[in-house]
Amino acid sequence: MSSVPMSPLLEQFLSEARDLLECSGAKLMHLEDAPNDQDVMNELFRCVHTLKGNSGLFSFPEMTRVLHAGEDLLGMVRSGHANYSRELADCLLEAMDFVGTLCREIEATHGVDASRARDSQQITEALHKWMPSLKTHPAPAGNGVAAAVSMGTPSIAANASSANGTHSVRSLLAGIPESTRKMALAHWRPGDALHWIAYRPLRECFFHGDDPLNTARQTPALVWGRVVAPEPLPPLADLDTYSCVVQFDLLTNAPREELDQFYRYIPEQVEIITIPSHWLLNSLENLGESRAALPAAPRRRSYSENDEAAFHKIIAAQRQILLLEDRPIWYAGRLKAVAAVLANLSSAAGHTCDEADIQAALADALSTGHPTLLLAWIDANPANRAGAALVSNDTSATAPAEMEKGAGSSLESGPGEVLADEGIKFGRRAEVAFSGPKSLKVDQAKVDRLMNLIGELVVSKNGLPYLAERAESQFGVRELSREIKGQYSIINRIADEMQDAIMQVRMMAVSFVFQRFPRLVRDISRKLGKEVQLVLEGEQTEADKNIIESLADPLIHIVRNSLDHGLETPEVRLAAGKPATGRLTIRAAQEADRVVIEVSDDGRGIDPAVIKQKAYEKGIIDEAALERIGDQEAINLIFAAGLSTAKVLSDLSGRGVGMDVVRSAVEKINGTVVLHSELGKGTTIRISLPLSMAVTQVMIVESDGQLFGVPMDHVVETVRVSGSNIRTFKKSQTAVLRGRIVPLKSLNALLGINAIPRMNSDDELAVLRVQTGGVEFGLVVDGFRETIGVIQKPLNGFLSGLAAFSGSALLGNGSVLMILNIREIV
Amino acid sequence: MKRVLIVDDAATVRMYHRGILESAGYIVEEAWNGIEALEKILNAPFDFYIVDINMPKLDGYGFLRELRQQVVPQAPAIMVSTEAAATDEAAAYRAGANAYLIKPVLPLQLLSFLSLMLGEASQ
Repeated sequence: MSSVPMSPLLEQFLSEARDLLECSGAKLMHLEDAPNDQDVMNELFRCVHTLKGNSGLFSFPEMTRVLHAGEDLLGMVRSGHANYSRELADCLLEAMDFVGTLCREIEATHGVDASRARDSQQITEALHKWMPSLKTHPAPAGNGVAAAVSMGTPSIAANASSANGTHSVRSLLAGIPESTRKMALAHWRPGDALHWIAYRPLRECFFHGDDPLNTARQTPALVWGRVVAPEPLPPLADLDTYSCVVQFDLLTNAPREELDQFYRYIPEQVEIITIPSHWLLNSLENLGESRAALPAAPRRRSYSENDEAAFHKIIAAQRQILLLEDRPIWYAGRLKAVAAVLANLSSAAGHTCDEADIQAALADALSTGHPTLLLAWIDANPANRAGAALVSNDTSATAPAEMEKGAGSSLESGPGEVLADEGIKFGRRAEVAFSGPKSLKVDQAKVDRLMNLIGELVVSKNGLPYLAERAESQFGVRELSREIKGQYSIINRIADEMQDAIMQVRMMAVSFVFQRFPRLVRDISRKLGKEVQLVLEGEQTEADKNIIESLADPLIHIVRNSLDHGLETPEVRLAAGKPATGRLTIRAAQEADRVVIEVSDDGRGIDPAVIKQKAYEKGIIDEAALERIGDQEAINLIFAAGLSTAKVLSDLSGRGVGMDVVRSAVEKINGTVVLHSELGKGTTIRISLPLSMAVTQVMIVESDGQLFGVPMDHVVETVRVSGSNIRTFKKSQTAVLRGRIVPLKSLNALLGINAIPRMNSDDELAVLRVQTGGVEFGLVVDGFRETIGVIQKPLNGFLSGLAAFSGSALLGNGSVLMILNIREIV
Repeated sequence: MKRVLIVDDAATVRMYHRGILESAGYIVEEAWNGIEALEKILNAPFDFYIVDINMPKLDGYGFLRELRQQVVPQAPAIMVSTEAAATDEAAAYRAGANAYLIKPVLPLQLLSFLSLMLGEASQ
């Protein structure tokens, strides 16, 4: 297992990777509907490209390899070299899933399990299969390389470790010109590695975006290299310019890790052999001279060497820029930038006097449009002089000590060679230069804390009216009482606004849940052999984060049910005169202070007769009910526990978990669920949820001298029922309220309080008409109090087993109000 | 102290480059696409630019072309990319880059390029 410590950079990578994976998933789904949408394609490509680039900062070869292949494939699709198809999308989705798995694994274990290498290989190969050039030429990776090598040069790849191999490499070394070997030795210092690299690019490598010649030349610390043609080259006219027919032999003294890192995308095309340095020595004929050239001290990788390499690269780049023949409108800017770089390079090398020359050359180039003088300056001056100056620092007798010191300190304060070094202080100046999208990612715990604090503020604020009351009645200071009330109204307003503001922070769009449906619907419908078109509406509808989150599972269940049991296979649909493709609509909308989510399909609908029969068989209803209940009531039986209508229990909806789970999940967050179905036409399930569940409106009722809260979601109305109007019917009391027979239940009896409901002076009972799950009844209490907004706290520990209460809340006077769970007490 | 602008749509890459540069004492600002970068340079130009190629809205080429037409066009710019293709390199130079580096750029390599192109190595 390769393991890395969790640095801020890695955290950032994982967080960004999640976003990019989500984005690429969504784009892939989008392309299913609109495969020719170039914008979406570009976006998708950019997501994968960025992800690949990011992963390159770490050593997760398993991930990078898959992403690299994915990017290549997308590149070919984008340019029209490969055809987009569902199967290709499957393959890409699978690759993205794999990357997601790796991300989660990295997050959990800070590393990638070794076993992933095989999966990575498989997925990469699967992706390669879609690339046309690879399909036509089966990958020649294994045999091809060995064969090719044996034709051109002695076989080093196959036998590197064997005794044979050592001979081969020795004879290989003999093939290098002596002057090169001497040079290699001159660069080589004790402790340095010397590596022989046999780079055998795939024939199709150009289609992978490889540039073998450039790669070979960019090989770190390259000492020597040659191009080998393993087979005789065909006549120029027959040469296929799209396939790579040459190979490379390279000699480098870069350390092994650096080479592995450099060739990490194409390890299978590279053979790296460590060469014991004495071979090199022995292979030299004139030993005395070369040995003398060996420096005594071990070399250190110093800053100045990086500088030297950079210096030459920069000079070469400026020359290349000046040689460009186009003259765009930004040509002057281009020249000025080159001149500035040259002047800076010159002063970096300690040649301040060149400044004037460069300015003159620039002025000439700007007036003539030809950078002849600038080019001449490069050729004449700095590359040699300045480059030499940097080198001389390294080799002269006194300078190295200083350079070493300087390099040492810059290394200590610097980030070091290691990628993702923990020592790097990332984001140190974040406050100076904050940029990026204008939104913050905040840990949810922080928002929750703020929310709790505001909740407490609301509660303690409610204590002020009591205080005002006491000031007046107990201490008789009416003036103070009035002032407290005045202050209270101000605090009240601010607290309300704060509460509102924090609610806004917690608001989330339902798209958070919706976005996973395209993929879900696609996967399930294909598994079932059904054609389904998914329509999402109102994705921007917002609700509290907790509501949205607890919505996910019930919705997934409903959608699965629709796909599994509701929508028919294309044949059945065509036979029923419907279009072959079924339609599943998920719609969200805000209605007053509630969010309504509707899932509707145009499938076969629910047959009430089947439901009734099923419910009867399972003992949910008796024979009398079987005859009596109507169609809508029968359909509502689908919410009863343990009812499953599908004849074939599939692995999708599962056994035993049905709509009853959906209903209890929805009701847990004070929501309601209603189902309408028309046989043969389809089913609609409508879920209605509060926008926020942080503040619950409760009505306070009194019974036997105690106060209880009843959530307003359940309250229909409050009525006074005269004792004479209460009838006893089959041992239970009922009353006729607004033309309906409503059973009456005494709260005292339900809670086991041994007291009879108190009547008022007019012989009337206080009845709270409540409804839950489609059932309506009258709750008989002793009296009604006000309605207040409370922050409901769940019951913890010992009390959590009390099903009769859904939670508790603090009242302004500091007392605790128990909130009744209406569904449980009936 | 020299001011450097990192133009890259990948937050991870920005953070990586920022870490390297700040450890060496540069003042770093970030832009996540070419448009945002242009807005930033209109406020105050930078001494150095590190520019990604593939970005939404305005890519690295587009940004460099605009930069080179500004009032202060001569600040050195490095283009960084994951692609090693020579055509990309030439296109970067044509657009106005002064150097082309392959991601991931090693820390010391990046610092070498910066200090040389800013004329600081002898200090």
